[in-house]
Amino acid sequence: MHVSISDLSFSYPGTKEYIVSDFSLHMKEGEILSILGESGSGKSTILRLLAGLEEPVKGTVRVGDKVFCDHGNVVLPVEKRGIGMVFQDYALFPHMTVEANITFGLKRWRRRARKERLEEMLALIGMEEYKKRYPFELSGGQQQRIALARALAPNPSLLLLDEPFSNLDAHLQHRIRAELRETIKQTGTTTLFVTHDQEDARVLADRVVMVEKGTVQKAGRPSEVFKDTWNEKLLEV
Amino acid sequence: MKIRSNWYLVMLFAVFMLVLAACGSGEENEEAETEGETANEENAEEADNEDSQEVNLYTSRHYDTDDALYDQFTEETGIEVNVISGNADELIERLEREGENTEGDVFITSDAGRLHRAKEADLLQSVESDVLHENIPENFRDTDNQWFGLTKRARVIVYHPDRVSEEELSTYEALADEEWEGRVLVRPADNIYNQSLVASLISINGTEETSAWAEGLVNNFARTPKGGDRDQAKALAAGEGDVAIMNTYYIGKMLNSAEEEEVNVAEQLEIFFPNQETTGTHVNVSGAGVTANAPNPENAVKLIEFLSSEEVQDEFSEANYEYPVNPNVEPAELLQSWGDFEEQDIDLTQLGENNTQALMLMNEAGWQ
Amino acid sequence: MKFKHIRPTTTSGWGAAAVFLVAILILPTLFLLVRVFQPASENWDHIREFMLKDYFVDTISIAVWTGLFSVAVGTTLAWLVSAYDFPFRKTLKWALLLPLAIPPYIGAYTYHGILDYTGVVQMTLRNTFGLELSQAYFDIMHIPGAVFIFTIFLYPYVYAITRAFFASQATSLIESARVLGSGPVQTFFRVVLPVSRAAIVAGVSLVVLEVLNDYGVVSYFGIQTFSTAIFQTWFSFGDIDAAIKLAGILMAIVMFILLLEKFLRGRRKFSYSTTKVKPLKPVRLYGWKKAVVVGYTGSVFLLGFVIPVVQLLYWAALTFDYIFTKEFVSYIWNSTFVASVSAAAIVVIAILVANYTRMAKGIVPAVTARLTILGYSIPGAVIAVGVISFFIFLDEQLMTMLGASSSLVLSTSVVMLLFAYVIRFMAIGYNSIESGFEKVGMKFTEASRTLGMGWTETFFKVDVKLIRPAIFSGFILVFVDILKELPLTLILRPFNFETLSTMAYRYANDEMIQEAAVASLFIVMVSGIAMYLFHTFIEKEPN
Repeated sequence: MHVSISDLSFSYPGTKEYIVSDFSLHMKEGEILSILGESGSGKSTILRLLAGLEEPVKGTVRVGDKVFCDHGNVVLPVEKRGIGMVFQDYALFPHMTVEANITFGLKRWRRRARKERLEEMLALIGMEEYKKRYPFELSGGQQQRIALARALAPNPSLLLLDEPFSNLDAHLQHRIRAELRETIKQTGTTTLFVTHDQEDARVLADRVVMVEKGTVQKAGRPSEVFKDTWNEKLLEV
Repeated sequence: MKIRSNWYLVMLFAVFMLVLAACGSGEENEEAETEGETANEENAEEADNEDSQEVNLYTSRHYDTDDALYDQFTEETGIEVNVISGNADELIERLEREGENTEGDVFITSDAGRLHRAKEADLLQSVESDVLHENIPENFRDTDNQWFGLTKRARVIVYHPDRVSEEELSTYEALADEEWEGRVLVRPADNIYNQSLVASLISINGTEETSAWAEGLVNNFARTPKGGDRDQAKALAAGEGDVAIMNTYYIGKMLNSAEEEEVNVAEQLEIFFPNQETTGTHVNVSGAGVTANAPNPENAVKLIEFLSSEEVQDEFSEANYEYPVNPNVEPAELLQSWGDFEEQDIDLTQLGENNTQALMLMNEAGWQ
Repeated sequence: MKFKHIRPTTTSGWGAAAVFLVAILILPTLFLLVRVFQPASENWDHIREFMLKDYFVDTISIAVWTGLFSVAVGTTLAWLVSAYDFPFRKTLKWALLLPLAIPPYIGAYTYHGILDYTGVVQMTLRNTFGLELSQAYFDIMHIPGAVFIFTIFLYPYVYAITRAFFASQATSLIESARVLGSGPVQTFFRVVLPVSRAAIVAGVSLVVLEVLNDYGVVSYFGIQTFSTAIFQTWFSFGDIDAAIKLAGILMAIVMFILLLEKFLRGRRKFSYSTTKVKPLKPVRLYGWKKAVVVGYTGSVFLLGFVIPVVQLLYWAALTFDYIFTKEFVSYIWNSTFVASVSAAAIVVIAILVANYTRMAKGIVPAVTARLTILGYSIPGAVIAVGVISFFIFLDEQLMTMLGASSSLVLSTSVVMLLFAYVIRFMAIGYNSIESGFEKVGMKFTEASRTLGMGWTETFFKVDVKLIRPAIFSGFILVFVDILKELPLTLILRPFNFETLSTMAYRYANDEMIQEAAVASLFIVMVSGIAMYLFHTFIEKEPN
């Protein structure tokens, strides 16, 4: 397995309540997986634990040949993990151009390689003419694509997306979902994204994991998972 | 809930401030009324009833001893003394701005040059007072009786007896000679005492000679001028230089400092009155004048007369180590121990007249 | 009127009030500034030849170095206490503001007192160890020394403003940089610093303005700066017109630098607003890193607060008996009274003006906003002259209206002093309030408008409540500054009105630093209490 997460648990210091408890998950290389849950279900915390932005209480995380956490001990700090993450608000650096944003994670690359990679990424998202722009000069959809390109540029072993569509207009969501899946599949990056929207999961994901109170309720292919009546209820909500 | 408790905190703070403020201003008024008059309440009431029983003071002297003397004046005369103390030049500017509407009756400052400048700006008026004529020698008061000297300060050479013998010292002028290279300490040029010293030398020796002297002196500086007069004394003790130009009363203050080590420093040093064989030691005065538009001119004169009286002159000398102008008053014992000396015999108004020229000359010589 | 304007205009109540208030505030300054354009006096050649060139170089070097060091110290401290967890962090977080409570000139006297020949350091070396070292080792009375004094007592401006920014703005950017493989040091330089540029500039411009206006420290240290030139021209040449001319040049330089920074910023935008703000999660430090961070933050606190305060305490103990009289209580009250009343007035005016300038578009509001800084860029003593002229003028108008029997009313009351404080410290209050408004943006205001509330209603029910932290921090910063203020207080106060800072000056000016210590300590104490309240308030406020 490319990604293996076992018994991952998290609670805020000084509290007893687990936000994530005994969460386990395994992913194949190149797989796109969606964690689906309502707000407060702990799904975003799982992403932050994988990224290394939170410290787990216990659990082991391994991605590729790297061990991130070993029985609750953080082995690799965030910056050494080599993962990509697209934040809910994109977090594009406002003082940098599109170009500088995308090459931010490539500082150890050779100059030429860096330039090639930039062009490659811009081509991938179809925004070649925008590289001298600043983030605030772009639309929401464009910002999201830049954020994706920035996350993909260093060839991450795992791509994390936090509610990738929540900041977009409804009519954009449709088009971009399809595009996004296309782009990710092109690069073959193993991807984990969290959403509260079944539709996102249905269109994008190879596999869906439903989370409630920080534990896995159900997992499987989208078509299987959403068949259930229990989930119909969720759909209404 | 959280937010709310924050607001209580702020409100509490605000209320606390307001209460403080209210008490403060209340207390302040009371204070003003009783300030001068702690012992005799009747007088205070009298002063309250009669509006004119007050005198308003603009002063650039800020000594506790002065405050005590004003209290004593109120006690003796029932005239309340109101004070604004500040920088001399700013007070002059304020008087000028206020023009005929000023509330200030008396202007006091510690430099004859400044007194002269106030006179030139038509801010002072002539006063005819036998008491003042009697108490203050002619050379320490204005020719038109617009201002009167109250205390004298001598700017002398202080030296470290380990490295300099008295015989080597003679005049201010001699400090520009080669033998003093790298040995002279003095504070920066922006200080008025220095400017007045140079101004006095301009009247005695002329601009050109003084200019050359200043250049020679700057060449002999032991270090870039910095700090105050006390710092020059400390630098002497530390061996940074061998002679320092400073006012005597700072040595007096250091000898009576709360800090033991300052006393130790002052005790190591000796005072030399320069130019005894020639033109005399430079003396400046702090003095007072009645403002041109004083609302209470009689009280103003009374106050100045009081300050020139023997009793008060004695206090100036005892508590602040200044030399009294009143010839009937002996200087304090400490001052006497330094010996008598000949004073520069120049018209003090020249300190004011030559001030600008003095500063320009110092700037040109590179006296920082 | 049938419909309401979408934005308030200059003719609407809001706009008119804001423009009017600012006009009143700049009037006294304008009284003076017209003199800048008068023909040069006979002193001008001398001033230009012997003062301007050298003084200019010294002034710029002190300002630039102090600016750089305050940014270095202020931002690193803000970053360390925001991003890392280490022993004493909670205390240091607010304690690092405390050096602001010590007026720089008192700090200068104190440090010189510690280090000079009779100071504790040399005395111990000499009397205990028999060591007589060269005075050069202990000399701080030079340009580097002045830079040290200014940095150590003024860096909190940068620290306070950037820390507030880190707490509210930068979290997801920082996380994002780290996910992209950027280590802590690199993240700080590549993301944190540039993103906080606006906040840093706001902080450092307060520092630089304060340095340019300083007279106490430089004149004691014998350093010739622009303000020395201004005062020498005024005092020794008696040429206040030339002095004002110099002040005008100084102001022009300040404005030029501020504009230059705006220009260099170009079209990049530095503010980053998001609806979801998570506080930065501090990373716990261990081992040598912990030791280094504790050592660094601790030494800044020691140098900026503990050491000078201990020295002041020692001096105060020597002199307390005869310095602390019952009148002292009234000085504390006077200080607190003028500081809180003026700070409140400044905050109220700043809110009115900032609210107008953020909503209205065009040249009038933009100019109005920038004019608020005018009073902070001119030396206090020069402002004082303008204020006196203005109040005498008002009084004369009053007298002609009321008849000849009346005398000066306004210019002999504390009102004149309060008014001058408002002019002088408007910039600090305004900066704080403006950044508060910037942080919340327009969305809540607009939401409120769509819910059927008018500008005025929205203002009281939404806007003011949203920027409470900014209001509070503006109030405290101004409050502390007024407690320390000297030149205005000295010259504009009514009869018999002493404050803590005039008391401290009274002794320090005559080189009686031991006697000045008691009043100085009270300034530190009152400011310290105010800053502690500020801290507890900001901490509790949800981000």
